[in-house]
Amino acid sequence: LVFSLTLACRCVFQLFYSFFKSLVGKDVVVELKNDLSICGTLHSVDQYLNIKLTDISVTDPEKYPHMLSVKNCFIRGSVVRYVQLPADEVDTQLLQDAARKEAMQQKQ
Amino acid sequence: MFRFQSLDEDCTLEEEDEGLVEEEDEIDQFNDDTFGAGAIDDDWQEEHKRLAELDERDELAAGLGLGGGGLGGEPDLGGTQHSSSSSSSRLPPSAGCLPLPSSLPPLGFSSSSSKLPPPDVEDRPGDGDLAESLARLILEADPAIAGVGAAERPGPPPGSSGSTLPGLHGLDQPRVLQQTPSIPHQHPHHPKLPPGPSASGPPPSSMLSYQQQQHLMRRGTAPMGQVNSHSIWENSMGFGPVSVTPGLVTHMEDSPLMSIIKEVGLPKRPPQGRNDEGRDLSERVPPPRASSPVIGSPPVRAVPIGTPPKQPMSHALNHQNSPLCRGPFPPRVGPVLSQIQRAQLLNSQVAGFPRGGPGPPLLPGGGGFRPFFGGPPPPHGHRMGPPPPHGPPNHTPPIRHNTTHLHPQHRRMLTQRMQSRGGDRGRTGGDRRSRDPYSNLMTQKEKEWVTKIQMMQLQSTDPYLDDYYYQNYYEKMEKRQERERDSSKKEHTTKLITPQVAKVEHTYRPVQFAGSLGKLTVSSVNNPRKMIDAVVTTRTDDEEKREKQVWNKRRQILYTVEKMYSLLLEVQDFEKRFVQTPEEDRDALVEQHKTNTEQLCSSLREKEWDDRVSDEQCVMIMSVRKGKRLISRLLPFLPSPQAAAVVMAIARNLPALAKKDKQDQVLCWLVEPVSTVIQSLSSSSLTDLLQELQGNEGQLATVLHNKFGVTLLYLILSEGERMQSSDPNCQLMDDNRWTELVFSVTRELLSVPSSSLSPPLFTPPNLLSLFSRYVDRQRLELLQDKLQMSTLSR
Repeated sequence: LVFSLTLACRCVFQLFYSFFKSLVGKDVVVELKNDLSICGTLHSVDQYLNIKLTDISVTDPEKYPHMLSVKNCFIRGSVVRYVQLPADEVDTQLLQDAARKEAMQQKQ
Repeated sequence: MFRFQSLDEDCTLEEEDEGLVEEEDEIDQFNDDTFGAGAIDDDWQEEHKRLAELDERDELAAGLGLGGGGLGGEPDLGGTQHSSSSSSSRLPPSAGCLPLPSSLPPLGFSSSSSKLPPPDVEDRPGDGDLAESLARLILEADPAIAGVGAAERPGPPPGSSGSTLPGLHGLDQPRVLQQTPSIPHQHPHHPKLPPGPSASGPPPSSMLSYQQQQHLMRRGTAPMGQVNSHSIWENSMGFGPVSVTPGLVTHMEDSPLMSIIKEVGLPKRPPQGRNDEGRDLSERVPPPRASSPVIGSPPVRAVPIGTPPKQPMSHALNHQNSPLCRGPFPPRVGPVLSQIQRAQLLNSQVAGFPRGGPGPPLLPGGGGFRPFFGGPPPPHGHRMGPPPPHGPPNHTPPIRHNTTHLHPQHRRMLTQRMQSRGGDRGRTGGDRRSRDPYSNLMTQKEKEWVTKIQMMQLQSTDPYLDDYYYQNYYEKMEKRQERERDSSKKEHTTKLITPQVAKVEHTYRPVQFAGSLGKLTVSSVNNPRKMIDAVVTTRTDDEEKREKQVWNKRRQILYTVEKMYSLLLEVQDFEKRFVQTPEEDRDALVEQHKTNTEQLCSSLREKEWDDRVSDEQCVMIMSVRKGKRLISRLLPFLPSPQAAAVVMAIARNLPALAKKDKQDQVLCWLVEPVSTVIQSLSSSSLTDLLQELQGNEGQLATVLHNKFGVTLLYLILSEGERMQSSDPNCQLMDDNRWTELVFSVTRELLSVPSSSLSPPLFTPPNLLSLFSRYVDRQRLELLQDKLQMSTLSR
């Protein structure tokens, strides 16, 4: 039971990791759990869904002036609340399929 | 400074300080282990560098020279001085500066045994005096030191030292002299010496003397502007390690003391000791487990994963760190370059590493590093070439993605994007690279090592499965691009070949120890400990139970749809997997595929034994959005009779379907697969289909009202036309059905108001020719207008 869970966890990570990989180079807006929203180009992502953004700007009112000089940032995956994506870059059907596959894998 | 202090305290033999000293010693040791030599600031390093030189020369001097001896006698002097009031003069005063070069070395050591035993008695009370005189000595030595300069070493053979440092010798007098007054007129600084600290009584000699020494020296430096601290330190330390341990000397213990002093006095430890330790650290293998299950243990490595890469310039390192070795304790610092050394090394080594920061990326699964794949041998075919080189200088700083593992499409997109952006801000970022203070903090090897660890976790035995979304997404994009552009551009047809790790089958066997009672847990990264000892029982009737429980029809439908989806996905992947599996497994795969397809078909039937596709089932499925999607994807995989049946069912129930689709409006998903099916129909089936579509009275009107319906109708008609025009022998015209049907359709088309005629998705071009067969010119024109109008009004 428990051992298979570790393998399954890996699978769960893979889905979104795979998904974000396909979005590298696109513009996204990352909203953090501390309500900071950062707009930038997705530079890279890793298996923990840590995100590196380049050429960032703080969206919404510039309530966070300390970010003015920051061009690139690294965001730890655990602090992300939302990632806003361009809709046309996402293949929802494929995403659904991938999710189904993950579910199947987890069941096994 | 701290280090110096610790050195001092380490060497002390006083019991009262032992506990404290040991703690601090350990702390320092930990400090060094943790931070390495680099944790201490530069000054100290430079001093040690000089020390190294000093010590070398010092060693040359036989028997630590005069200076050492002189200072060695210091504490005594200080002690005697302080308690001069109380103590009686032990030694005959000698006026003036009587250089006693020859007498001094014996003074230093052997004298400690011979001449000083009497003072021993008064040692404790004399400690303060010793400290004071030591301090004084150094103070007095200041002008001398200043005169001597940093470079010159007060460690030459006794004779010369005597000449260079008259002051020092002069100070030796007090040792002999004992009286205070003799000193002041020789050493104008004397009045500055505070008798304060020592007045409190016999303090722990080593600490006090040292502290006093420090204190006084500091005060001494104040007026002496020209004397920099380095020189003071140098010379004081240059007197050999003996100066470091005045406390030691004060104890006047003969042979143990001397042996210690000699030991301490030894300069460099052999560097090999450090080398060995360095090698040890990186080659230490974790102790073998008692029993290691295959899955439970990570692969045993000669060099454990956690060890940093070996430093390439270990010999340079040793030279640099030799001052450290001179400590009285064995060198504890691992083979770690200090910050500065490393930076120097790397700056020379690595040329222009633009933005080393984002370099080792977070990205690609499966790793894009060549050294990493040296281990498990994968097909390296995908080597897409090195990451894009720095663009023209205008592009600085080029954001470097690690693109070795990306799909070629993706990589191309990225570089295009970067070029277009880099051109805008190339100028401003030009000088950023040259001034980046954070570059070269890690060697390339280190970066690769770090990424290697990360990538190991992403090693995938089945990239298609683990990386499903990414792979498929780019495949689709490829296909799309192939369709859009002309196929003459060969560059777009590059395939992505992903590295694959050979799949190793692990059957988990729980660790068992012979003769143990119960299950012992041996946990590791790959098998975390068992929390619950639960046994998995497969309950086959569970599904049925669940189905019974599902009372909501919609939920049931959804459930059915999901089940079918999983089957469908399996079927979809069949081809890909077929190509990949080895020969012997292929039969099994085909079997599996057949079963899947069967199951899919049977799910469309209402009852197991009923051979035909059930209308109701189809409609039910299609009442949900997901279901429509499912059917549209399922159709290509169904065998043709079933597919035809499904299409029939659709046509038959179109009005109902149209009604249910009012909200979603996704029936049009079905157009493509349906058209494929239609094109494979026989003429009679086609006629049947058209008939079904028309159905009962009034059905056609609703059909026409719906976009999909219209499109479907057109498809059918177009197909019929195609059949007729291409194959003169076609049986379409054999019976009148077709003609009649077409007639009724045209009638309907004409009669229906344009507003209720929904524009189709597309209008097949051959409709006109079709209609021309059946209707007269006038009507044809009317139809044309209507249809065109409807097409325009889309």
